Parts: sequence; C-alpha cells; structure tokens
Amino acid sequence: MAEMWISMGPQHPMTHGLWTLKVKVDGETVVDTEPDLGYIHRGVEKICESRDFTQITTYCDRLCYASANTWSHSYIYAVEDLLDVEVPERAEYIRLIAVELQRIASHLMWLGAYGPDIGNLSIMVWCLREREMMMDLLQELGGSRMHYNFPRVGGVKRDLPHGFAQRARAKVSLFLNRIQEYEALFDESTIFLIRTQGVGYSKPEEMVNHGVSGPNLRAGGVNYDVRTAHPYSVYSELDWEPPLERPSIKGADCYDRYRVRVEEMRVSASMVLEALDKIPRGADTYHEPGDPAILAKAPSRAPEGKSGFHHFEDSRGESMFYLAGGGEGRGKQPYRVSIRSPIFITIPYASKCMVGYKVADIPAIMGSFDPCIGETDR
Amino acid sequence: MGKTVPTSTQRSAAESMASTLSAMGGVSAEVSSRTSGTSERSIVSIDCSPENWRALAESLRVDHGVDYCSMITGIHWPDGGPDKNWEVVYHFLRMNVADPPVVDGMVQPIETDPTKVQGSAVPLEIEIRVALPETREPSVASVQDIWVGADWNEKETWDLVGIDFEGHVGMRRVLQPHETPVGFHPLQKQHKLRYHDFEEMYDDAQGFLRKPSDAGKIK
Repeated sequence: MAEMWISMGPQHPMTHGLWTLKVKVDGETVVDTEPDLGYIHRGVEKICESRDFTQITTYCDRLCYASANTWSHSYIYAVEDLLDVEVPERAEYIRLIAVELQRIASHLMWLGAYGPDIGNLSIMVWCLREREMMMDLLQELGGSRMHYNFPRVGGVKRDLPHGFAQRARAKVSLFLNRIQEYEALFDESTIFLIRTQGVGYSKPEEMVNHGVSGPNLRAGGVNYDVRTAHPYSVYSELDWEPPLERPSIKGADCYDRYRVRVEEMRVSASMVLEALDKIPRGADTYHEPGDPAILAKAPSRAPEGKSGFHHFEDSRGESMFYLAGGGEGRGKQPYRVSIRSPIFITIPYASKCMVGYKVADIPAIMGSFDPCIGETDR
Repeated sequence: MGKTVPTSTQRSAAESMASTLSAMGGVSAEVSSRTSGTSERSIVSIDCSPENWRALAESLRVDHGVDYCSMITGIHWPDGGPDKNWEVVYHFLRMNVADPPVVDGMVQPIETDPTKVQGSAVPLEIEIRVALPETREPSVASVQDIWVGADWNEKETWDLVGIDFEGHVGMRRVLQPHETPVGFHPLQKQHKLRYHDFEEMYDDAQGFLRKPSDAGKIK
C-alpha cells in the first residue's frame, strides 16, 4: 500500500497542547513520525535576561499551568546556587510540602486528561475533584489557585497558615483512600487494559540515551530519581523510596507508565504527612512573613563570572535552570537564563515509540508520556 | 532516613573522575562543591578547548559511563574578549542505567541501594564549558551520535543562540517558525527587548504599523 504523510495537530486532542505530529502511515500502521514544536514559544529566556532575580519566579510559574510550583522551585534552587544562599531548614520542609502537593495535583491532572484520551470519561471528573483538594491546600500557602509564586530567594513567601497541618492531614489521608477508587476504575476496565497494555514499549538504556527521565524512566524498572541520586532540599531526611515498575522483556508500556504515576502519588502523599510531623518547631507554629526562620537574607547581585544550576525532579522528569551571572556591571539581572524542559527532550523519543503501532494507538502512547507544551515551547 | 547517595561517596567518585580527565590535553577538570538544602553536592566541572571536545566526549561516554545528556546551552559574550566570545555549556549526568536482567523469562527490577553504590556506579553531575573565539560563525563538534538526547538540545542552541554543531544531522528550527530569516538568532546580545508604545498596544494590536525594532523604548 502507498505510504503517505498525515498531520495530527496543532489542534488535536492527542497533543495536550499545541503542536503538530506529522505521521507517515502505511495503511493504518505508523512508519515514521516527525514532531513540530514552537507554536507557543514566548521567549521566556530572553525576557528573563532583563528581569531581576526576584522577578523571574513569576515567569517560571507560568511555564507549566499544571505544575507551576515545581517550576518556580526549580528556578529558586538554581538562583540560590548562583547567589550562594543558605536556606533555613523549616523553609526547606515547607517547600517540600508545597512541591509534593503540586506533584500530586499534576499527576491527577495527567490522569484526568489521560482517561478521555482512551475512552474513559468518568475518571476526569473524579481526578479533578481530588485535584481541587490539593489546589485548596496550595492556595492556602501561595494565595492563588494556579500560579502561586510561592518560593522566595532564601526561603518561602509565607509560613504554614494556622490549622494548615490539620486540614492537610485530613485531605491527604482522604486522598490516599480515594487512590484505590482510581485503581478500581482503571485496572478493572477491560477497555483501558486493551488500550494500554503491550502498547508503546520503551527500553531503559534507550530512554537514558535519549534523555528521558522521571516517571517515564522509572516505569522501566530503573531506580533513578534526582531526589535520591543528587539529594537536595530535605529529601534525605525523610523515609521514602521512589516507586518502580516491573517492566516486560520489551521494556515499559503505557500501562507501566500509568502504574508508576499512581504509585508516585501515594509516595508523595505519605511524604507530605511525614514532613508535617518532622518539620522543625512543629507544623502549628506560625512565623510572620520575612521571619529569619522561613526566609534567609539573600544578596541581590550575582558575583562576576559565576554560574548556577540545579537538577530538579519535576513531576515530568528532570528539569533544570542554568543561570549565568553578569556581575556588578549587569546589576541584579542574570546574563543568561537557560531552561531544560523534560518534555522538550521526551517528545522526540515518544514520537519514535509510536513507530510500528496503529494510528489509533498514538493518543494512548503520547498521553502516557504526560506532555505539557507550556514548558516545552517556553 | 531516606535512601540517598552519601555525600562522601559522591565526593571521592568526583575526585577520581576529575583527576583522570585532567590528564587529557586541553582539558582542565576540578571538583566544585556546593550546598543545596541540607545536602552537599560535588560537581565535576571541566573547561575544555573546542579542538579537544570531541575526544573528551567519547572518553566520558566510553571510559566513565556518562550516559545522560541533560542540557546544552549557548551563551553569547560580545564583551568577553577574543578568546571567549561564545560559550557552550554542557550538563551531563552519570546515571549508570542498564536494561533490567532477565531470569527464566522474567524481567527482574534492578534493586540498587543508593546508600551502597561504589566506584563508577556513583551518580555524578558533570558541567563542561567550551569557550569559542571571536567569530561570526561559531561552531563546535556535535555529540548527537553519542547521546541522542543531545539532538534536540543542539537544535535549540542553534535556533536560539546561533552556535552551529559540526556533524549534526537534520539541523532545523525547533522553537521559532520555520520561515525565520537566515541568521536571526534572538538570544544573541545585539537583539534587544522592545516594549510596545501605548498606542501600539491598543490601536494596533496586530502590529501592522509597528516601528522598526530600534525605535521605541528599548531595554
């Protein structure tokens, strides 16, 4: 049969955003693919070059609407590396709670979007219901619903509000029970199993060479997590292990990638509970904004010739900011800001994973990699 | 306590890699130590000349097991002097990832205990800076064939900064439109950010009457 190129996107439910996947098909089988990105390139890196270090956090929030907090924290760790700031331990615990709650919310958004991709509409409503609880908690911390602008250079904007610990414990424990409902809805659904099992295999060594990281890599049975391999924040103080899947001989399929994210929500939820117990001076104390217990004093100018970077475990993989300081001549602004987006690197690999499968499998494979185009196009 | 890689193990692994790499020509490697949160990180930071970069990359992959290319960044330093007008910064991670073993037809997950890793299995962060001399066509050797993950990183660096990668197959615009003029790379420092005037924002939202880019408020 004759081969032909068809174009999926930029407006297509499979894309989860705005990009084009050009697919070469032979009948119904995918022979070749070519992703085309850049539809919402906003030039964040260029804009950041003329902003102060403290002003950039808001731009980083807007890199990904589903996971704003992890992105602003990713930036804050890089800028603290550049400015050489020592952060109070209580602030690190608050950050960890904020990031892990955001990770749960992001995975819930993914799960809610993945259901409709493969013909399960009810899961979307269920996931958004639980995501609302996480967003309420994050709103208590940051003050807004989606773009929190929560971390500060040297600490956090605000301490845990009065009664936050009690509400967080109640909501997270309820959420831990409700995860079982998702598993019942997905794992006992024949349609879901047929659409995901044995589809979109990816091998660990190949994934690492292609730069794929995070949950997509751990689905292949690889015990690699930036939080354990290059420990930052207070992850080494908590008792936890990254969840792993047992892949098949061909590698990890879409079902493994779904399983590892559900397990990761469990681990994050128990991490939040443990951090609330272990936080120095207790979760019920309250410090006014700007108190040295939650916000260390930070220099506003970067030293000449120094650069700062920090590998960070985002909800989609390893994200990183690279900042080059311009020194006294440049004032308080970075000379160059560079962003490593996990999905920008994953999309070419995910497109290669589709070769050999049917056109109808493309949404199932692409969706299982959790694409987010806001961070991809920057 | 969580299972994380101890800082002392990481430090000794970083030192042994740095001392081996420093023996190569045109390469100077050192271990820099930084703190993030409560943990100390040891980073192998390397300065390399553009001629030796390709040899260094092959040695990293083959002899030191560096298997993951995290990020490639280009920087334009117009005031950096004749030897450092451009800079390419590479960030690698040593993940030490292998496909899980198969026993009796069953795939076994790799049970690595991060607290007990030794030798070349220790995860490491590696930063490499390659300074390029003053030129209108900066270029450095491509590592696309060693780490496939470098492929789109190099495309992006060429697209935004204008540093070319010799030997890169299939170079094209990735973030900017395909019809962007040849030679336009927005992160070069001669291009300035420009803000719209009040009238432009409200009367001419589409930008049909926009002034040339050197007029208006430039920052």
